[in-house]
Amino acid sequence: MRLNSYEFMIARRFLVNGRSQTVLIILGIAIGVAVQVFLISLMDGLQRNLIQRTIGSSPHVTIAPPLSSPQPLGIGGGAIDDYQRPLKTEESEILSWQRYSDYLSGIEEITVAAPMINGNGYIEKGRSSFPVLIKGVTLPEADVIYKFNKNTVSGDPRPGGNNVLIGRASSDKSGLKVGDTFYLRNQTGAGDYFSIKGIFDLGSSAANNMVVMSLDRAQNFLDITGISSIEIQVHDVFAADGLAESLRGSLSQVKVESWQERNQELLSGLQAQDTSSAMIQFFVLLSITLGIASVLAIIAIQKSRQLGILKAMGTNDKSAARIFIIQGFSMGFFGALLGILLGLGMTSLFMFGTKSSGGPTYELKITLTNILLPAVLAVLSASVAALVPARRAAGLNPMEVIRNG
Amino acid sequence: MDDIIILEKINKFYGDEVVFQVLFDIHLYIKRGKFTTIVGPSGSGKSTLLNIIGLLESPTSGKVFLDGQDVSSLNKDELAACRNEKIGFIFQFHYLLPEFTAIENILIPYWIGKGRPPGEIVDRALHLMDRIGIKKFSGKYPNQLSGGQQQRVAIARALINKPKIIFADEPTGNLDSKTSNLVMELLKEIVDEQKTSLVMVTHDPNIAAGADRVVEIVDGRINSDSLHSN
Repeated sequence: MRLNSYEFMIARRFLVNGRSQTVLIILGIAIGVAVQVFLISLMDGLQRNLIQRTIGSSPHVTIAPPLSSPQPLGIGGGAIDDYQRPLKTEESEILSWQRYSDYLSGIEEITVAAPMINGNGYIEKGRSSFPVLIKGVTLPEADVIYKFNKNTVSGDPRPGGNNVLIGRASSDKSGLKVGDTFYLRNQTGAGDYFSIKGIFDLGSSAANNMVVMSLDRAQNFLDITGISSIEIQVHDVFAADGLAESLRGSLSQVKVESWQERNQELLSGLQAQDTSSAMIQFFVLLSITLGIASVLAIIAIQKSRQLGILKAMGTNDKSAARIFIIQGFSMGFFGALLGILLGLGMTSLFMFGTKSSGGPTYELKITLTNILLPAVLAVLSASVAALVPARRAAGLNPMEVIRNG
Repeated sequence: MDDIIILEKINKFYGDEVVFQVLFDIHLYIKRGKFTTIVGPSGSGKSTLLNIIGLLESPTSGKVFLDGQDVSSLNKDELAACRNEKIGFIFQFHYLLPEFTAIENILIPYWIGKGRPPGEIVDRALHLMDRIGIKKFSGKYPNQLSGGQQQRVAIARALINKPKIIFADEPTGNLDSKTSNLVMELLKEIVDEQKTSLVMVTHDPNIAAGADRVVEIVDGRINSDSLHSN
């Protein structure tokens, strides 16, 4: 295929000459692209935000003893040979957790594997009691997951001995402040006095209902020899289920669960959002394509005379068609370019608006893909739309024009 | 070979369901470098004949030779290339492209055939414009020109590729008689200078009288064919 420079020249002149039509089409494409850039960035940002809120301060993969689904002994054969230990408590605790920790620390995707003690208890104050989750942690591992450093709203973020951290919800309910001493009871009814070193806010009510202490204090307080779970965070949150799957293959004695498995509803919600935004994009593209096709078809009819004379002078059918493809492509290109700018403008305006109005501040996610995908699609659909007039131009017989004047 | 155009047994039919014949067994030889007019009443088939000679239409049967080449078997693209290279067209309704200036219109046939015109071709266009007295309008758009000026631009455009032959379909049909005479004089002079053949369809007996040869078509047949001595 030989592209002749006059095709570009003629396409350009046709576009420049039909100024208002051209401007309107380019504006139409630009608005379509802008809406898509904005929408995709918004959706992307919203999803990341949701996921961040859901799993940001929680483990991506949890390794727990097989409480609910006991494993038959002797069948495992995983990387860690722990099934021969004849301990009944292995069913509700992980006793050999050091070996798990060593094994997990050798896996590259894992940022941190933190041993945890989980239990239930009551804060007693006067005649009332408030149920809480008791969590025993090791620092700095637990800090990677729960970010107590960052999320402590008052006091000091490091628990130790009888100095504990409590969540904001527990603090609000019980009225306890930093420095206060309170009586904490475990499930068996035994209890002890603890003092509050810091209060944290992890952003979810369940997490804010925790009493956090050091691992060995929790072991002692709850009468646990091993640990309750190992909580893992990974580099790529979306690879968590893959990692969980491979861990299941090598760790036969424990239950491995990824955040995706724990948040099926969230995931299917996000999926539905993806589908609806894809549909919106499809229809925006469709209307762009139809709009361009109709306007270009009108231009092709308006320019019949010119095409006829060009053909008489030696323009062949393919060249005539290309003149219109070039027009479609150019309008798509400039429309997309303008659309990207508009879309970025809308996005930053939105971010500015939500920030200054004090509403929820989503970080809209502007990525190269979010910008280029709608732009490339718009250019493509503009070029496809141009096929309609291009066919007409190719099929035009110069005689029709010359004979009819 | 001395003939620029040879038509052998040309028949032309129109229509699919109701078929009617426009040209009947036309034989015609047109000499190089001569001014030939085709005359005849409306509907006689003279424009169809011109379009067949000009490779804008194909005959239903018969052979067309242009410059010694049998063009009957060429495909559409080859015909387009052949028109671009060998033929210059001047139409009754000028058909300049309104989006382009006068000089751009003149250069378009070159651009179609060979790409962006080099300086010497632009110079040639300017020279042609100078020769026919429209050089000062080179930057004007067609709608800024009078009918006579537009037709002169069309003449220069027909000549830019140094065609072997120029076809003109009532080139002065839309002009007043004074302008018409001026345009005809210029056309004849410049065709003479460029040693190009000229075939013209016309209703105007004065124009026919000034030609080297007059071919009269009546009802799709050559009714008379007369050579003038001038």
